[in-house]
Amino acid sequence: MQKVCLTVNGREVSAEIDERTLLLEFVRDVAGLTGTHNGCLEARCGCCVVEVDGDVVKSCNVLAVQVDGAEITTIEGLAPQRLAPVDQITTQSLAGVYRPVEAVRGTPEDLHPVQAAFHRCHAVQCGFCTPGMVMVLKDYLEENPEPTRDDVRRAIAGNLCRCTGYQHIVDAAMEAAAEMRGERVPDRPTHGSTDGA
Amino acid sequence: MRPFTWLTPETTEEAVALLRAHGEGARVIAGGQTLLLAMKERLVGPSHLVSLARITDLAGITTEPDGALVVGAATTYAALTRAELPGWQRRLSEVAGDLADRPVRNRGTIGGALCAADPRFDMPAFAVGVDAELRISGAAGERALPAHEFLVDAGRTALGQDEILTAVVLPPLPTWDVVVFEKFRHRVFDAAIASAVCALRREDHGVPASLRITVAGATPTPTVVLVDAAADGAAAAESAVAAVRLDSSDEATRYRRELVHTLVRRVVDRAHAQQGSV
Ligand SMILES: Cc1cc2nc3c(=O)[nH]c(=O)nc-3n(C[C@H](O)[C@H](O)[C@H](O)COP(=O)(O)OP(=O)(O)OC[C@H]3O[C@@H](n4cnc5c(N)ncnc54)[C@H](O)[C@@H]3O)c2cc1C
Ligand code: FES
Ligand code: FES
Repeated sequence: MQKVCLTVNGREVSAEIDERTLLLEFVRDVAGLTGTHNGCLEARCGCCVVEVDGDVVKSCNVLAVQVDGAEITTIEGLAPQRLAPVDQITTQSLAGVYRPVEAVRGTPEDLHPVQAAFHRCHAVQCGFCTPGMVMVLKDYLEENPEPTRDDVRRAIAGNLCRCTGYQHIVDAAMEAAAEMRGERVPDRPTHGSTDGA
Repeated sequence: MRPFTWLTPETTEEAVALLRAHGEGARVIAGGQTLLLAMKERLVGPSHLVSLARITDLAGITTEPDGALVVGAATTYAALTRAELPGWQRRLSEVAGDLADRPVRNRGTIGGALCAADPRFDMPAFAVGVDAELRISGAAGERALPAHEFLVDAGRTALGQDEILTAVVLPPLPTWDVVVFEKFRHRVFDAAIASAVCALRREDHGVPASLRITVAGATPTPTVVLVDAAADGAAAAESAVAAVRLDSSDEATRYRRELVHTLVRRVVDRAHAQQGSV
């Protein structure tokens, strides 16, 4: 057993863990944040991507002991207000969550621009790949604010999506990039892609 | 995964001592991108993992007075991609930035790829291609080997049980005028099926003085192909195909042979077409 202390989304989490514990297991089972998904456990699908000290990693292919002391950001860390637990589902709480798609913008009170764009562009179907996609794209767009569609495809080369066919994910990334550059994004959801690939 | 003891030395000497003390069961872990996959499958089950993460002087890039580039074994692909390197040494950044995926490049290291000695990986091909030297530290002291001697077989290196690869040294800029790397894979994310490197040095009047061609992926370790310095792409491709001896007539082998031919022709023609130090 080994003591490991991580800061997960600003909260200190420490535990005595088996050395074999993967960072993915630490995040889900010790920190209790299940937004980070286990899709393959073999570094193939990208559903488990989190940030370690600002760099994205596949958390299923990193031991928790390897990153002892690090700052971890998970998908839950991108929209802090959503961390408030909903004990009881009421009309009010639902109304708070399900606002009209046009009204969703990337703001600190709302969602990260990448999350908001995924919502507007219908880049989510089953949603299993979404946390990893969003984490990788956020990291990528911070580094390259003006990507081409081809750049975006390369950035998510390590993320598999079995539902969307990627078109709307690329749409969302392009729209998020525009919003992150400070440009106005369309009020209407922009369904339909501009590349034929 | 089988249970193991986690060890975090702060110096190379300490790491070597731990490897020696714990014997056959002890294993180095750098980024873990290859090792953890094997441990999860129980293909390997080390009793002790010696992490390189806290040994700060194993990561980073420095230039020697003669222009040789010393790349710490635990330098990640992401760090290599960001490095600003001169002349043909820049190829190292480009190769590092065009393999695996963003998250894997943040953890995977150049030394890990060389020690894994997987024929499909890019860094072994590149290191042999430019005739890099590998620095090794062990209980018996330090030594250095050319990359092609370090890589013994698929998955096997010349490292002793208590030795650590500390650095990959690219030769000084004047060694080559042009270095070209090409690989073939079906999807961006896949490892290469075959790759080829061409390193070319010219004389004062631009006449080719030395041409080093390396083929990887198709053979257990990267193969250096001996050719005349003036050989063009087509001639070099024929020599390469003969040298790698992919003789069997099954479809997969025929396909590899075809790839080797095409990649070598391309790298050599591209090298001859480029001027100056690139
Ligand atoms: C999803 C995925 C895709 C990939 N795609 C590609 C690709 O397209 N092209 C490509 O080239 N590679 C690819 N790789 C492989 C990648 O290059 C290697 O996994 C990585 O470089 C290994 O480095 P590491 O630091 O993680 O090594 P580790 O996994 O930590 O170690 C690998 C082996 O080397 C030993 N070792 C490591 N460092 C040292 C040292 N300094 N001294 C002695 N022994 C040492 C370890 O004991 C272990 O046996 C891919 C990997 C993954 C997971
Ligand atoms: S669960 Fe980590 S990459 Fe698939
Ligand atoms: S939305 Fe279902 S896997 Fe991507």
